[in-house]
Amino acid sequence: MASLQLCLPFSSTSRFRYRPVRCANERQALFNRIAPVYDNLNDVLSMGQHRIWKRMAVTWSGVKSGDNVLDLCCGSGDLAFLLSEKVWPAGKVTGLDFSEDQLSMASSRQDLLSKVCYRNIEWVEGDALDLPFSDCFFDGITMGYGLRNVVDRRKALQEMFRVLKPGSRISVLDFNKSTQPITATIQEWMINIVVVPVASGYGLAEEYEYLNSSIKEFLTGKEQEKLALEVGFSTAKHYEITGGLMGNLVAMR
Amino acid sequence: MVRISKALLKEATTGLSRTLSEILVCPLSKQPLRVCEETGSIISDSIGVSFPIKDGIPCLVPKDGKILDIDDTLKDDGADDDGATKRN
Repeated sequence: MASLQLCLPFSSTSRFRYRPVRCANERQALFNRIAPVYDNLNDVLSMGQHRIWKRMAVTWSGVKSGDNVLDLCCGSGDLAFLLSEKVWPAGKVTGLDFSEDQLSMASSRQDLLSKVCYRNIEWVEGDALDLPFSDCFFDGITMGYGLRNVVDRRKALQEMFRVLKPGSRISVLDFNKSTQPITATIQEWMINIVVVPVASGYGLAEEYEYLNSSIKEFLTGKEQEKLALEVGFSTAKHYEITGGLMGNLVAMR
Repeated sequence: MVRISKALLKEATTGLSRTLSEILVCPLSKQPLRVCEETGSIISDSIGVSFPIKDGIPCLVPKDGKILDIDDTLKDDGADDDGATKRN
């Protein structure tokens, strides 16, 4: 286990920097690099709250026993494992990610956890912008901390719409780009003062500094709703949680 | 125990599970795929590209596909068969 070496908040290594938008290859490499400590850092940085947010995302997806569901940008599999418990015994879960290392972690966790229901999960290395699935295939789709990271959010939503069965829902969890100045300031402060110093203890300061710029470049809740409706979803609603720090888009085809 | 169960679900020669064989399509053309047992890869005949399978995980990121040689797509014509050679 890496030891945590907290940096002083205003040292030269933790100046508030906003990194430019990165291309898909750079983002893929970033997620490969953080894969070994991803789960650990999620727990530490959110004080375990990410588990609650993910359970909420799964509930909002409306998936039930027997459903065939997709988790996009599945990473190390947190949402896929939760979905698996919901759709078991007859349902199936497909977890897709473009990071080979994250999928490797997910597959290893599946073996280690060895819960019977987790056998219904399959992993696919793929691109959220070009999904290798037929039209109208899935009973539900989730995406956790993925929409902010794809290079073309419209295309990602279009692909989700395409592979979703009519009457089914997507549930997209991510940081909330708040329109409230105080919330936005607190969020930025927490990332710069807490998240980045903790991440630097794992040698990943640069990777986590990416968070602030990606939130600035993200869509607000209203913008996400508008885009989902433009793409063809019949309803779209964005819910803010944890004081507006996180948000979850729910849209139905 | 889980590893043995997973192995039983996979096609013996291809390493791809039956579930995935049934649901996957070409990420670009959305047309059916086939598994090439000789190379253990997934072939999209519609666009003439092969995709690898690593540890049972199909890799269908478009940029990671390899364009197939013309020989691989002319099997029925009795063209020279140099094996499943692929351009990098």
